[in-house]
Amino acid sequence: MAGFEYVRPTTLEGAVAELSMRGDTAVAVAGATDLWVNIRSGKMKPEAVVSLRGIAGLGALTPEREDGGGLTIGAMTPHGKVEDSAWTAAHFPALQQGCAGLGSRQVRNVGTVGGNICNAAPCADSATALMLFDATLVIQGPGGLRELPLGEFFVGPGMTRLLKGELLKEIRVPDPGRNTFSRYIKHTRRRGVELAMMSVGVRVTLEDDMRTVKTARISLGVCAPTPTCATRAEDTLVGRPLTREAVEAAALVAAEDSKVRDSWRGRAWYRREMIRVLVPRAVEQSGAFAAAGIAPTMGGSGAPGGAVSRGAGAPGGATAGGGSPDDAGAFGGATAGGGSGGVAEGDA
Amino acid sequence: MTGMDKKNIHFVANGDPVSALVGPEWTLLRALRDGVGLTGTKEGCGAGECGACTVLVDGTAVNSCLFPALEAEGRSVTTVEGLTQADGTLHPLQRAFIDYGAVQCGFCTPGALMSSKALLDQNPDPNAHQIKVALAGNLCRCTGYTQIVEAVQAAAAEMSGTATAAAGNGSGAAATGAATGTAGATTGAPTSGTSLAGVTGAVDQPGHGATGAGTHASLSGEVTA
Repeated sequence: MAGFEYVRPTTLEGAVAELSMRGDTAVAVAGATDLWVNIRSGKMKPEAVVSLRGIAGLGALTPEREDGGGLTIGAMTPHGKVEDSAWTAAHFPALQQGCAGLGSRQVRNVGTVGGNICNAAPCADSATALMLFDATLVIQGPGGLRELPLGEFFVGPGMTRLLKGELLKEIRVPDPGRNTFSRYIKHTRRRGVELAMMSVGVRVTLEDDMRTVKTARISLGVCAPTPTCATRAEDTLVGRPLTREAVEAAALVAAEDSKVRDSWRGRAWYRREMIRVLVPRAVEQSGAFAAAGIAPTMGGSGAPGGAVSRGAGAPGGATAGGGSPDDAGAFGGATAGGGSGGVAEGDA
Repeated sequence: MTGMDKKNIHFVANGDPVSALVGPEWTLLRALRDGVGLTGTKEGCGAGECGACTVLVDGTAVNSCLFPALEAEGRSVTTVEGLTQADGTLHPLQRAFIDYGAVQCGFCTPGALMSSKALLDQNPDPNAHQIKVALAGNLCRCTGYTQIVEAVQAAAAEMSGTATAAAGNGSGAAATGAATGTAGATTGAPTSGTSLAGVTGAVDQPGHGATGAGTHASLSGEVTA
């Protein structure tokens, strides 16, 4: 590994100044769980590494209220902090599940939510989960702050709308409102330390009649070059009664609209099929069907055939069926590239 | 380009203030092994996959192979050497790993122990699922993991003073006694060569400990190869 300069600014503005001055020769590093792998292997040869670890105040998880509301996530918040947050598990279960299912505990202890987003892997778990909640990114640039919806941030694998010198400061997640149910399912070949073959998140917010869908989100990981939302599928649900049939129909639309492809981790047809399977399963496991008075399917909600993967482990989330916790053997088998959120060139 | 020059970092390793001259590309793993001389921590994959290099930084488990050495400045680092008491008394986790056969070649053991330590510090009474989640990032190619989970459960029981006849299978017979602090706890069982070397971090190659290199000298975490 060639030598490089290690710069450790103590303010966000200082980091932006360092990056602006150095241009393409410098790389910003947060938790380093992905970038250090690339630097150690020689795949990346920066002249300077700008470490963001010395900047105070970027690692906090700030709920709007003790009993709910929105959430502000500092870009340097490690996934493990979200995983351990009972508040997040209660109010944004899919987000807690997404963060808890990423990498290993060692990786989650240092790998940051901001890093996972800015790395822009198609399989970014925290980003795919955050898409459900209409999160907004607050970006610091040389000229000050700007905001950008997360849904507009990704351009392609490893590519974002961050401009030279810009850094993600925080993620703002608005209050999803009452009667909200969410679930994130990471579909993997094994249940720990694995990049998603594909992932599905759902968020359903019901009207006070607990029957009509007020808003809905379906987010998909590794079903396109970037994390995406299946907007046409979401639209079929809004304003209508929540039914199993409606969700299955929406799942079909999401599968049809997806841009899945073949890769060594999974085939396109299989990924498409699993969208159809996992969207209803995620709605079931979110608790939305139960809240709307819809009876569970025969044989339990979790496993209507096919391989069940509860990658998120779901310590706090509302789960229904899907195998016992002990069944979710977390131990890994063969290793797969990318220490944490994953490498961008892998799947798309 | 002064930033490329080596720099002296100061941190606390296992309670002792230490310093190391490190380059910007150095990892904490290298600083510990080559800078401080604490070779109990192993490099497996070097890419954050296997967890052999797991240490605690301010109490949290991290892969030291991906932790920039310069970020260790002012931090408190605990390695496998820090588990053993000064008089050589093994930590209950180390003892349980030996008694339950959770050590075979021993190379992954220092990392598995540190992940287990981090878990028990946060959750003194984990169930099997929680142990699996906490240790998912520690690959072991020998044991099949069952023994590791049993060892962590036994150590948790001993540390919380609720040790009972925990082990359920045949291999746990001796370990059950050990978990309650009686038979076999001090003499170290037939596999002690490998096991002692493993739990103290003295194995430096997979399988090396099986040659019997692990001796009481290894209790201090000294390198044997």
